[in-house]
Amino acid sequence: MADICCGVVSESEASTPCEQSSRAARRRRMEIRRFKFVSGVSSPETENGPKRQKVEVYSRDCWNAVENSDSEEEKQVLVADTGRSESKDISISNQSSNKSISTGSLSPSTPVVPEASREYPKFGVASVCGRRRDMEDAVAIHPSFCRRDAETATELHYFGVYDGHGCSHVATKCKERLHELVKEELESKEEWKSAMEQSFWRMDKEAITWNDTVLGAKCRCELQSPECDAVGSTAVVAIVTSDKIIVANCGDSRAVLCRNGKPVPLSSDHKPDRPDELNRIQAAGGRVIYWDGPRVLGVLAMSRAIGDNYLKPYVSCEPEVSVTDRTAEDDCLILASDGLWDVVSNETACGVARMCLRGKAHAPLCSPMEDEVATSETSDKACSDASMLLTKLALARHSTDNVSVVVVDLRKAT
Amino acid sequence: MASEDQVRSQCCFLEWMNLQEQELAELHQALNIHAATNSKENINLTQLAENCIKHFQDYADKRTQLARHDVSAFFAPAWCTNFENSLLWVAGCRPSQYIRLVYTLHGLEIEAQLIQFLEGIGDIKNLGELSSKQIHEINSLQGKTIRAEEKVTTRMAILQEDAADNPIVVIVMKELREVGEMNGKVERALDKHEQDMVGVLEEADRLRLTTLKELLAILTPRQAMGFLAASKQLHLCVHEWGKMRDFRHGRGNHNNLS
Repeated sequence: MADICCGVVSESEASTPCEQSSRAARRRRMEIRRFKFVSGVSSPETENGPKRQKVEVYSRDCWNAVENSDSEEEKQVLVADTGRSESKDISISNQSSNKSISTGSLSPSTPVVPEASREYPKFGVASVCGRRRDMEDAVAIHPSFCRRDAETATELHYFGVYDGHGCSHVATKCKERLHELVKEELESKEEWKSAMEQSFWRMDKEAITWNDTVLGAKCRCELQSPECDAVGSTAVVAIVTSDKIIVANCGDSRAVLCRNGKPVPLSSDHKPDRPDELNRIQAAGGRVIYWDGPRVLGVLAMSRAIGDNYLKPYVSCEPEVSVTDRTAEDDCLILASDGLWDVVSNETACGVARMCLRGKAHAPLCSPMEDEVATSETSDKACSDASMLLTKLALARHSTDNVSVVVVDLRKAT
Repeated sequence: MASEDQVRSQCCFLEWMNLQEQELAELHQALNIHAATNSKENINLTQLAENCIKHFQDYADKRTQLARHDVSAFFAPAWCTNFENSLLWVAGCRPSQYIRLVYTLHGLEIEAQLIQFLEGIGDIKNLGELSSKQIHEINSLQGKTIRAEEKVTTRMAILQEDAADNPIVVIVMKELREVGEMNGKVERALDKHEQDMVGVLEEADRLRLTTLKELLAILTPRQAMGFLAASKQLHLCVHEWGKMRDFRHGRGNHNNLS
């Protein structure tokens, strides 16, 4: 699956950004209860009626299949593709009260969203293999994946990018599990930092024990020891609430906030030559050796990761957590693997993403003819366009790695 | 002394390279006309692409026929330069190279467009020649192609390993008294090996052809022309550069068999 253009559209936000009555807007939001999954085509039934929000998942192919939907088409795609685990590299789920939507043919009247106001973020995803022969990136997106009692007013949205190394299976495992662990921790802990740290720690443990227990894996290394001990993944996770962005990062993927057109990095890459990381590694008895760049014990070019059991404790799974208040000037959030950041600066990425989002604001409701899948929806397209354009830019600038980009629209509708 | 087989195989290759030059000229001409007239008429372009595919198919068929007599020649062709041979994958190009070439070609113009776009002049849909949908499709084609390539590579690996196994090893160790001796059994074993190599060659050619067809179907007619022209130009350049480099290393003339 090359990429999923997925966006959640609120027409009240998209077409009338200055809607006078916030009450009306709220009423509309409260009416929203339907999702529509679209594979390849959009359906006419979404034209009318009170459903102002919907989720669309466009899936075009098989290499990295979509997993959120069990629609026939996508099932076939997955079946056709079971040869390698790289086939599953993006998952987007929609959950409400632990009930996930798992059918492509939901009846239009099935209430899947409880009667509560919920505001979905708009987002776009692009993820390609690029100049690599193996796909080791994975992306997970879970809008409204969790709610906290302490913050009743708000839904939490989960975005994660994982960039595997050695093989794809740790990244795949993170995609499958990390949001669940984060949810569990958030439900039992008040504090963001410790909840995120604990979930990363548990993810790491699971990735390692999973290596030892699972048989017949479909990935390249087939989980054969000792090779699979040398497998790991970065994880950059952003949780977006109505007023905050929480980013937990482990490794060299990155989250950048685009605020008023300017980049605000929300994570700091874990490179072995970062002075504090170098000290930490040396204090633990490890060494950083320059072998095609700085590497922990001359092997791994990042200082923190999930997995990589043989490099513990020098390579740590502890994330750095940042909590940022959202402001009215926030344009969007960009999460991406180093396939993007190696060749595109934070500034350029923000400029591109912002132009895409803005361009859509006053562009006529037409989309490029080739993107026929998206003709009926436009505002999620802006995010998809942004993520795809950044991906294209990375390819054009000869990124030699897999490229995965998530763009989340943070602009407030009012 | 060149064998008749080798002469025929070399002719097949030289004809192919001549045809490449011819096609390249036609493609350039068509692209120029297309650019000059800004024609919406894609029929001509589509026809050209179909011709290219047809010629490729014909060449592969002819090669397979010739390979049935002398397959080894195609895996290390004396009519290609050493540099070209160093790039060969199962007697031809790697199908995944097509995808690389597309990615690289489509990125050539993007920087200039990006500056305009960031200044608010350009339009997003013109940015980078490939649309989002095309990127999805190319990405999945890439995955599929790489997996298929790996299968052919594995088949090739097994064949090569088989050369150090029975029956050849038994014959070498038990039946022959000195190096260079041949007998009927050896001949049969080697014939069988070469027969299997023809099978791998056919599979590789099939993959090259289907990948090319699928890729061209993803591209617009104009993009397809650009891609075909670039790939032919690259191929011809590599051939010529190879000659120069071989010459520099004191290796002779590739067009004459002696």
